[in-house]
Amino acid sequence: MKRSPAWPRHLAMVAVCFLMLVPFYWVIKTSLTGENIYAYPPRIIPVEPHLFNYVDVWYLIPFARYFLNSLIVTSMAICGNLLFNTAAAYALTKDFPGRRWLVLLFLSCMLIPFQATIIPAYLITSWLGVLNTQLGIALPLLSTIICIFVFKASFEAVPKSLIDAARIDGLGEWRIVTRIMLPLSKPAIATNVILSFIWSWNAFLWPLIVTRTPEMQTLPLGLARFMSVLENTTGSLHAFVVLVLLPGVTIFLMAQKEFIRGLTSGAIKG
Amino acid sequence: MSPRARRALRIMRHRFVVAPVAFILVVAGWNLYVAAHDDGIITGSVRTSDGRPASGVEVVLLERDFVNYQEKYRTRTDADGRYRFDNMQVYIGQLEARAPDGTRSPRYLLRLWFRAQNTDVPPLLLPPPKS
Repeated sequence: MKRSPAWPRHLAMVAVCFLMLVPFYWVIKTSLTGENIYAYPPRIIPVEPHLFNYVDVWYLIPFARYFLNSLIVTSMAICGNLLFNTAAAYALTKDFPGRRWLVLLFLSCMLIPFQATIIPAYLITSWLGVLNTQLGIALPLLSTIICIFVFKASFEAVPKSLIDAARIDGLGEWRIVTRIMLPLSKPAIATNVILSFIWSWNAFLWPLIVTRTPEMQTLPLGLARFMSVLENTTGSLHAFVVLVLLPGVTIFLMAQKEFIRGLTSGAIKG
Repeated sequence: MSPRARRALRIMRHRFVVAPVAFILVVAGWNLYVAAHDDGIITGSVRTSDGRPASGVEVVLLERDFVNYQEKYRTRTDADGRYRFDNMQVYIGQLEARAPDGTRSPRYLLRLWFRAQNTDVPPLLLPPPKS
């Protein structure tokens, strides 16, 4: 059978990629020129680009403080996700009474939007005494159901005989997880790291509710503050956006292979 | 090479190690550069319209406060037409030369890479005196 040429498919993919990348290009271009986004006719090529808008961002707002807060919250979220999701997923691979109902409960909880759980989440955070702290911001992000299922799918792919052999060799449950399961689940780990990074790095609503002082604000809150306080900040505003985006994009590019593998393995194994 | 050394080398070459280490090195290098060049010394000269050094001319440094430029510091040029500001904690501002006869140079936009960066500004040119 004669195969159809690949170039029309590639051409279509290039066109789609171009469309997807245009907003990114526009943000970067504006951050380098400060040109108003409504300027007509729009310039495709940046005219007299410079990096001084990034210097403005650094000094006009406490960028380092926001960055540090975001970094601490995100690190907590990633560590929490790896720890709690691993434990939960490993438990769900075991047979115990009510397991099926527990899985159904988890799946049904995914249908509840976060906005609907804000009041109980706030009350619990307040009861724990961690309001207006980095731990308080990270608390609801410490475990996510989707990531539990990513780990679960990955753990279920590990042959039972391997676990039985480890058990015969005298390994306890925790060591089986750390020595056998996790080294064989690198794509799931990468998926967990990237998803928890992106969700905690971009979180806006919960940090807005739980923080009370500017010193505890994270980068997305800083961006909102930046927009509300300053005027004529076209270039600086877009430079801020680039600085907020940069860590997430970098982590994604570095781990994209594992990320895609982790998501697709979860998709086919359920 | 032993397997342990080979494994260590492989880990060292991994992009999750190389990228953060490169980032830390760049940040450390940049901070060292800043620490060595942040005395806040701004120097430059003022020249008349015919290119001669303008002595005894007042040079004003205006600092930006969010959107407006406010006058912050003043100094005078010496016999060679040169001026110098010390300990300037600015990263963006404007410089203007004001001659005794009332003429003023066009404002020079001063944009620095970091606060208090030592910098040498291009000459400020005074327009011809009003007749």
